[in-house]
Amino acid sequence: MDKYDAVVIGAGNGGMVAAIRLLQGGAKVLLVEKHNLPGGFATSFRRGRFEFEASLHELNDFGPKENGGDVRALFDELGVTDKIEWTPIPDAYRLICKSEGLDALMPFGKQAYINAMEKQVPGSRKATEAFFELAEQTRAAQAYTSSKNGVVDSSYMVKNHGNYVRTGSYSVNEVLDSIKMPDKAKRILNAYWCYLGAHCDDLSFSHYASMVVRYITRGAMMPKGRSHEISLALCERIRELGGEIWFNTEAEKILTGADGGVEGVTLKGGRQIKTRHVIANCSPHVVYGRMMDKVPERAVRAANARKFAGRGFCMFLGLNKSADELGIENHNYFLYDTMDSVRQYELMKSIDTNRVQATVCLNRAYPQCSPAGTAMMYFTTLYMSDAWGEVTARDYAKTKEKVANIMIDRFESDTGSRIRESIEEIAVATPLTYARYCGHPEGGIYGYESQYWDGLNPRLQMMEHDHITRGLRFAGGYSMRLSGYSSAYFSGDITGRQTVGDIKKEG
Amino acid sequence: MKFKRQIFGFMDLLRFKKMVPLRAKKLAEAPATPLPTSYRVDRTVKILHPGMQQAELTEIRQETPDMKTFTFRLSGKMMFRAGEYVTVGHKIGDSLASRPYAIASSPLTALEKGEISVGIKKAGFFSGWMFDNAKTGDKFFIGDPSGFFHYDGVRDRAVVAGIAGGSGVTPFLSMARAIAEGSEDFSLVLFYGARTEKDLAYKEELDKLCSDKFKVVYVLSDEKNEKYESGFVTAELVEKYAGKDVSVFMCGPQAMFDFADKEMAKLDLGGKYVRKESNCVAARDVAPTQYKLRVHIRDEVFEVNADARETLLTAMERAGLNVPAKCRAGGCGYCHSRLISGKYTIAGADKRRVADAKFGFIHPCCTYPDSDVELEVPAGEIPQ
Repeated sequence: MDKYDAVVIGAGNGGMVAAIRLLQGGAKVLLVEKHNLPGGFATSFRRGRFEFEASLHELNDFGPKENGGDVRALFDELGVTDKIEWTPIPDAYRLICKSEGLDALMPFGKQAYINAMEKQVPGSRKATEAFFELAEQTRAAQAYTSSKNGVVDSSYMVKNHGNYVRTGSYSVNEVLDSIKMPDKAKRILNAYWCYLGAHCDDLSFSHYASMVVRYITRGAMMPKGRSHEISLALCERIRELGGEIWFNTEAEKILTGADGGVEGVTLKGGRQIKTRHVIANCSPHVVYGRMMDKVPERAVRAANARKFAGRGFCMFLGLNKSADELGIENHNYFLYDTMDSVRQYELMKSIDTNRVQATVCLNRAYPQCSPAGTAMMYFTTLYMSDAWGEVTARDYAKTKEKVANIMIDRFESDTGSRIRESIEEIAVATPLTYARYCGHPEGGIYGYESQYWDGLNPRLQMMEHDHITRGLRFAGGYSMRLSGYSSAYFSGDITGRQTVGDIKKEG
Repeated sequence: MKFKRQIFGFMDLLRFKKMVPLRAKKLAEAPATPLPTSYRVDRTVKILHPGMQQAELTEIRQETPDMKTFTFRLSGKMMFRAGEYVTVGHKIGDSLASRPYAIASSPLTALEKGEISVGIKKAGFFSGWMFDNAKTGDKFFIGDPSGFFHYDGVRDRAVVAGIAGGSGVTPFLSMARAIAEGSEDFSLVLFYGARTEKDLAYKEELDKLCSDKFKVVYVLSDEKNEKYESGFVTAELVEKYAGKDVSVFMCGPQAMFDFADKEMAKLDLGGKYVRKESNCVAARDVAPTQYKLRVHIRDEVFEVNADARETLLTAMERAGLNVPAKCRAGGCGYCHSRLISGKYTIAGADKRRVADAKFGFIHPCCTYPDSDVELEVPAGEIPQ
């Protein structure tokens, strides 16, 4: 039987980074991927004269060389930064919530952001500054925690990172209310909530604040060759380090021994691979639901306690006119019905009432991404229930078209631009698409939801508690860093290094 | 600033400390109900994208002297958009050969009866073999319904002018059937070009399907017959029967595209309203030259022969390698493979992603070797 120190299941963002960390730690590694491409969601596809980005809106925490973020530092260590051509995103976001009279274009840069907020909401300066102060402290505390691999001295934390500890158990809304953020400023500041997929009564402040501060102070970046370029760069690095990647190769079973720990992996078709270490770049629901014959009860209970986060939907349009001609002014838009995220979250439970969109026109960051005289857009939303589970095969195409029309109408009516007559190519991905390619339950794209009790802080502190099966660790959106590109890369970094430690301990 | 939410600051600290025990409690207290092995969306996905499967050939019908309809019983239900194709494949001698064919039957036939049919014209290696050798009861492998040659209510106009030549009529037959059964909702005016009346496959059925939403106009090039239009499909003809506000869909041989492209330019429709189904990449017209092709599939290495005239995919299939093959036109990306070394030429337009070119990936279905070549190819999914 073939033998590897570790098998990584799934070449998603977390899996690829984990494979590199394992290889850097000297392990012999096999990465298996059921699809014929790497990346999971991090990929691209061609339609006619367009190459669409499949999922990445903007990469957070990368930053320019002179103001590099943690993802850049990670990519430097992995040895992939220079394999990728980057282009900066111009503005943070344009938020439009017509029903509440909101239309705000928010810039990158802390001072610029605070000034723009003051202009939108006179008198908000003090509260916005307080927000950034807390957010910076949160980032510093997280950097310290990471440097200690999550094992920190609590009195040291209270002494040196007091505000992080004091805000750490609260939701976004609870903290913003405590620092007396004016209501309108709160609504503008909370615009990013759909990137994390839990409403602001649930979402932990530290999680949200650390994301926002990274975006605003470092800006965001995009690889010119779409996220597919990052995925191919990571794969090239895996090969340079001697790792093997097998595509169209689905891992069906994780084999366990008498101690309940990992002994191997069975591939579709029956081939067995011997290994004592598996990193699963997929959900515990899938692993404990169908990949193991003997499942620890604790793992089943833990999985049942979790809540699936948003199921993805994305419409891709190739337009036969330029962004200027069409009146598309910005790179990324958040279009909401209401900035009350709790109410908005409810509306996102049904296909008929979900009208939220996070929309990108990539040409506004990278004009050459499509041929001259054309533009490329993608419109994303999340469903906060298994609504697409109700859609039959017969009604599938019709339902996709219905949602596509809702999205086009909303974009036109909120921004005043006219795109419908210029649609040369259209593709639509639904929760079924994400389930098909990536195998996630219900077509979720955000892992387990950041519920009040299941947010970033307790997950990071409970990595060893969540390590239930010997030799089995998780990477990706369902794991300790939650979802999103940068989080998935970090999860692979953490879990890859932990597994190197596990291997070394075994000697 | 010192953040404080509770009246006493230490209570904020206490709450932080309680997060871990609270989460541990939540995780432990949830029910031990076995986790699902699949989800509702997966069951629908299985119908929309069943994946590569084995299917039995149940019926062969002669349509014209050189065209037959082949009907297959699938392993389960399938749903597709009228106009999509499937890959049909079989082991022929030492080769694992396949070819994409537009589905001619209706979507609801596949959904309700688990059955699809394709029209095959006697031409080329695999189609020729099918025409002469396939018999009912034989087992074939059949791929996912694929492609983008279907109506889109957001993008297209309400009236589609379909231009078909030869076996290119089959996707339009599926569309006409779909319109009749209600699984598609648009108006189709089909311009069906053939040399003579006896070359018109499916004529009887097409005539029966005519309604307020489907019309068919036969256009014969080599026969004068007052019942039909004669010559080729021109802009004038399209305007006469379908009007100017149309989306044009074309499926047929390259010579037909070349003529129709010039004609449709007169209607000033632009790229948005003219869509063409891609044809398979054919052999190239160069001197026969033999090369070595080294193929890595997982941890296996195969050394096979390649000919400068044929694509790398054909070379691998000739050698009986189980490798991915779908559109055979360079567009779908299913055969996405890593070039380790060698020189190559891509047939027609380069349809790869930009990063593929940068990191040395190619699509073997549309790539000819210009030297010995070494490739890493994903494993094929043909059931063995």
